[in-house]
Amino acid sequence: MNMNLASFSKKGIAHFSFIRMWVLFLIFFLFPGAASGRIYIDVNAPSIPKFNIAIPDFKNLGVDKKHSEFSTKMPGVISNDLDLSGYFNPMDKEAFLDEKGGALTAEGINFKDWSVIGAELLLTGGYTCIGSRLEVEIRLFDVFWGRQILGRRALGDISGYRHLMHRLSNEIILILTGHNGISLTKLAFVGNATGKREIYVCDYDGYNVRPITRDKSIAILPRWSLDGKKIVYNSYKHGGPMLYLKNIASGNVRLLSGRSGLNIGACWAPNGKEIALTMSHRGNPDIFTIDLKGKILKQLVKHWGIDVSPAFSPDGDKIAFVSNRSGSPQIYIMDIENEGVERLTYEGRYNTSPSWSSRNQIAFASMKGGHFDIYTIDAVGGRSRRLTENMGNNEAPCWSPDGRYMMFSSNREGRYHIYIMNANGQNQRRITSKKGEQTAPSWAPE
Amino acid sequence: MGKKVMTGLVAMAFVCSILFFVTSCAKKQVNISETVQPPVEEEVVVVVKEAPKEETVVEVIEVPPELVRQIENFEDTNIYFDFDRSNLGPEAQEILKKKASFLRNNRSFSLLIGGNCDNRGTEEYNLALGERRADSAKQYLIALGVSGDRIKTISYGELKPADPANNEVAWAFNRRDTFKLLQ
Repeated sequence: MNMNLASFSKKGIAHFSFIRMWVLFLIFFLFPGAASGRIYIDVNAPSIPKFNIAIPDFKNLGVDKKHSEFSTKMPGVISNDLDLSGYFNPMDKEAFLDEKGGALTAEGINFKDWSVIGAELLLTGGYTCIGSRLEVEIRLFDVFWGRQILGRRALGDISGYRHLMHRLSNEIILILTGHNGISLTKLAFVGNATGKREIYVCDYDGYNVRPITRDKSIAILPRWSLDGKKIVYNSYKHGGPMLYLKNIASGNVRLLSGRSGLNIGACWAPNGKEIALTMSHRGNPDIFTIDLKGKILKQLVKHWGIDVSPAFSPDGDKIAFVSNRSGSPQIYIMDIENEGVERLTYEGRYNTSPSWSSRNQIAFASMKGGHFDIYTIDAVGGRSRRLTENMGNNEAPCWSPDGRYMMFSSNREGRYHIYIMNANGQNQRRITSKKGEQTAPSWAPE
Repeated sequence: MGKKVMTGLVAMAFVCSILFFVTSCAKKQVNISETVQPPVEEEVVVVVKEAPKEETVVEVIEVPPELVRQIENFEDTNIYFDFDRSNLGPEAQEILKKKASFLRNNRSFSLLIGGNCDNRGTEEYNLALGERRADSAKQYLIALGVSGDRIKTISYGELKPADPANNEVAWAFNRRDTFKLLQ
């Protein structure tokens, strides 16, 4: 083993974790107490100032210097993660005085070179590739104090390098904010790149896209279960829109509800054992719950109007849904126990797509002046807050599992793609590629 | 010759109506399946819906040109709706009266009505609205004496726009019911 790595190993081994196919070692070689408990970023502040972080290219520490492409690819993944988190401003490499990245450890770094260009944080990294394996070490420094905040070494397969980098991004976000990042979460969406609408899944940053349907029909409205192990979706492959359940690990698909008419807009109950959806087999689109065998448990909403888009509250006691009972689509909240219904939205003539976050905010899409935009409102009511404006249509909001971010579809760049933003509307970024259109995001935990 | 064609026609109509009866019964039974493969009966339903066989039959038995023209006219004439509405305007009612008269005079045909919306709004809401639109036409035809057993509906919501553009003209064109005759 190379001298540099060996010298770090001495500083302490704290923690091993085993992930799926490959093993990941996270070796804590932190100076004890280096960043003890200090929270650099208050994520609950209404507006979050961004930290300038400099991330020079990672150093190839391997003897044979194989895989030189990783010196930019790996910091690229982390840089993008930190940018999407909304807490950081990854700095342009052009501005770096010490462009070679110099030393990896505090002793060798001239912190003045970094503070003078405005960097508040510095992330250095080195890696070695041996066969199909990759060993990476990163260090995060507070430039002002010239001290190390975090040190991690990670080991994994070269092919899974993005996943490895996402883990390190999460470590960085955790130590600076005190809460877990979203770097390892997953996205499902509808894409039409093949000419037909199919369901796809990918990493939350839009990479590693793979289809999970090949129906060559119309597949829409994917919804992850809360544990991320299953997806329900609608397909026209056997006639009208029927509801299917796909097990991600096994790949098995089964029909959950093929009743005549609609079987659409499913939403998982927090217990993972019930699904609320709109069915019209009794002649009118109403909201029911079914179990995972497709059996009807309860008719939740029965009304002559259109009732669609159920969204469970985090405790599972209530649902938000859309009804046109007032003459135009508006969002209502129903107490499942006592069946009491209250209207939530009063502003605007067209409010749809409620999504209920784990932090009890409801996001929805509202049409004003011919365009859709995304709003949030407290689940208990109150004033709504507009998050998108003057950028095409913005629809189908869906919360991150931690309720701090949203994905949504927007045609601000011409065609519909999926975008991410903070819960307060800051830091809007495109996630999916420009090939075809992507809509109907659904977000799953790691 | 003419007699042969007539006999063929009658026989075909009979076979088709039995086929349709069997499949529509079958569809009612199909609800939930535990397997990846759909039940066999469902595959048959698909055949009836898209009706490739029936279309072939129509050509083979040389439908009189007048009837072909009527069928084309029937299927090419959509009815249109206002934004977020599923009620039938006077023009739509006139069109449906003509369709009802054709269906009363040609009892071997059944009908599939497709309900569609413009792309504004959520897919779920538009699927429900599309179903309402298809159902409005169905109920009107029933009121005009066409048996409800002969009419099926399917909602495509905003999934099958006639014009994919994003403007008032395209939207108005997309808020429609389509009509497909099945024999």
